[in-house]
Amino acid sequence: MKKTAILVRNVKKIFSTAKGRVLALDRINLEIKPGELFIILGPSGCGKSTLLNIIAGLEEPTEGEIFFGDKVVFSDKKHLSLEPFERDVAMVFQSYALYPHMTVYQNMAFPLKNLKYKKKKIREQVIKIAQMLRIETLLERKPAELSGGQRQRVAIGRALVRTPQVLLMDEPLSNLDAQLRAEMRVELKVLIKDLGITTIYVTHDQTEAMTLGDRIAILKEGVLQQTGSPDELFYCPKNTFVAGFIGTPSMNFLSAEIIKSIKKPNITIGIRPQDIEIRPPNKGIINAFVKLVEKIGDKYLVHVDYRKQKIIIETSNFSKEKEVSLFWPKEKMHFFDKNGERIESVEIRFSFV
Amino acid sequence: MSERRIKSIFIVTGSIFLFLFIITPIFWMMLISFSKNISFLTGGTYQFSFSNYITILTSKSLHMMDYLKNSLIVASITSPIVLIISSFSAYAITRINFAGRRIIPLLVLSISIFPQISIVGYLYRWMGNFGWINSYVALVLPYLAWTSPLALWILLSYFSQIPKELDSAALIDGAKRPKILFRIILPLATPGVLSGLLLVFIACFNEFLFALMLTSDYRAQTISVGISLFQGLHGEIPWGELMAASFFVTFPLILLTLVFQRFIIEGLTTGAIKE
Repeated sequence: MKKTAILVRNVKKIFSTAKGRVLALDRINLEIKPGELFIILGPSGCGKSTLLNIIAGLEEPTEGEIFFGDKVVFSDKKHLSLEPFERDVAMVFQSYALYPHMTVYQNMAFPLKNLKYKKKKIREQVIKIAQMLRIETLLERKPAELSGGQRQRVAIGRALVRTPQVLLMDEPLSNLDAQLRAEMRVELKVLIKDLGITTIYVTHDQTEAMTLGDRIAILKEGVLQQTGSPDELFYCPKNTFVAGFIGTPSMNFLSAEIIKSIKKPNITIGIRPQDIEIRPPNKGIINAFVKLVEKIGDKYLVHVDYRKQKIIIETSNFSKEKEVSLFWPKEKMHFFDKNGERIESVEIRFSFV
Repeated sequence: MSERRIKSIFIVTGSIFLFLFIITPIFWMMLISFSKNISFLTGGTYQFSFSNYITILTSKSLHMMDYLKNSLIVASITSPIVLIISSFSAYAITRINFAGRRIIPLLVLSISIFPQISIVGYLYRWMGNFGWINSYVALVLPYLAWTSPLALWILLSYFSQIPKELDSAALIDGAKRPKILFRIILPLATPGVLSGLLLVFIACFNEFLFALMLTSDYRAQTISVGISLFQGLHGEIPWGELMAASFFVTFPLILLTLVFQRFIIEGLTTGAIKE
């Protein structure tokens, strides 16, 4: 078995606009393993869709190389750029991009027709995939006559119908309502894993990324922040951006300074809301005042103020105290330097500022 | 009175005025064309008759049917070619990123702003050199250039409303650009294509100056020139026959427009408002 399915090496994308040149992607390096469900996660405008389009062959990077297995699909040095269909990729778009004037059957048959399949073979393949996605009763309808969830299935069906080497998904669930999204998420994961297709999935929703992904790459303003499994990102974030982006509610950040050092450098301490325990006053590490309590199901989100810094605590039992003390285990703390980079240190002595 | 009522009164009055303004000349034309003679205009009695129509359709020397045939041929050759050319251009301009994609539609438009009279002399010499005076080619070629901006701009507004993700999806699904244009973009822009066809057809059918200069007799002259030549044929101006001929050739266009009006209105207004 090949070790990498997709290799992205030093990919850079500069857009020339009327206002000047914009660096959309800065030296991106990715290595995606065969059969992996790989997530590209980031806030809107971070360049994640551009990266996906570049991998698909819809856009050309300014610099860099892309390999599918051993095959070069893009190289700026060799002046080589393969068309999307030469890369054997399929894509599911955020807007689904179904052909409005074609029936569901025609939509799904379109990629196979372009591959010059025989009519009988097309019919078999479309029906097989339609049954898998439970849309076989909708084949004669037009996209306008379908619900959002059904359209989504058709879009996935059209992508899977020719069993592509790589499946690309650009925020495929973001147009669905919350309940449907959660259902489709599970179904999608089962489907992709069953088929074993290497998948790149772009999203801005960290919950989606954490539940779906084998590995996640986090992108911010065109710069890759961290790549790793959901656990690595959650328990060992490389910087404050990743730490704040992953997990709900967001990680709490408190400013502090290192003592027993002449310079007393400023640092940031991060603690997840789930790791903080509320104790009676003076029984914890810091004392704080309760500002607001949100009740979400059987959980409480307690917002407290500590030296004008906001802290959120997630707890399952809370009685309406005004003044509390917060406690957390030492090993649950994350340390970041003044640039927001993670400090790996077993023992840091500090005081809050 | 409520504001809504006042508004509707304004709208109704305005519509009636506009309707009368447009319909009166046509009605006048029809009235004269069906009169036995035009003495009713100077106090005589109105006599209904088909005599003018019978004259123009049967009199060989007027060549009415030849003119009509020429017009239909020239317009029917021009309009599909214009639409094919403009489809390719509109597709490229709306879909493909190349230098000058924004300036090209404006350049094309500026060509249509040129007064026809300023180029007709040159066209005459040019067509003369090729020996094309008094042929269909002499009309079709200038019409292609002259009506392309119209078709291009109609198609541009249509094509730009079709989401680009459809192109991306089709590219990924293995379709080449021409296939995307013919199988996806054009079917989705059908109203635009139809209204473009019709407007180009009407423009060619009605064109006068080029036809007057570049053709010389009934073998290539179009109906608009033909009708203008009615006058002076017998010393006096044959108003009745003139009006009958005009109404006769206007009628098919009116019918065509009524049939396609839904598309035309859509075609001319899309792009104006974002849905």
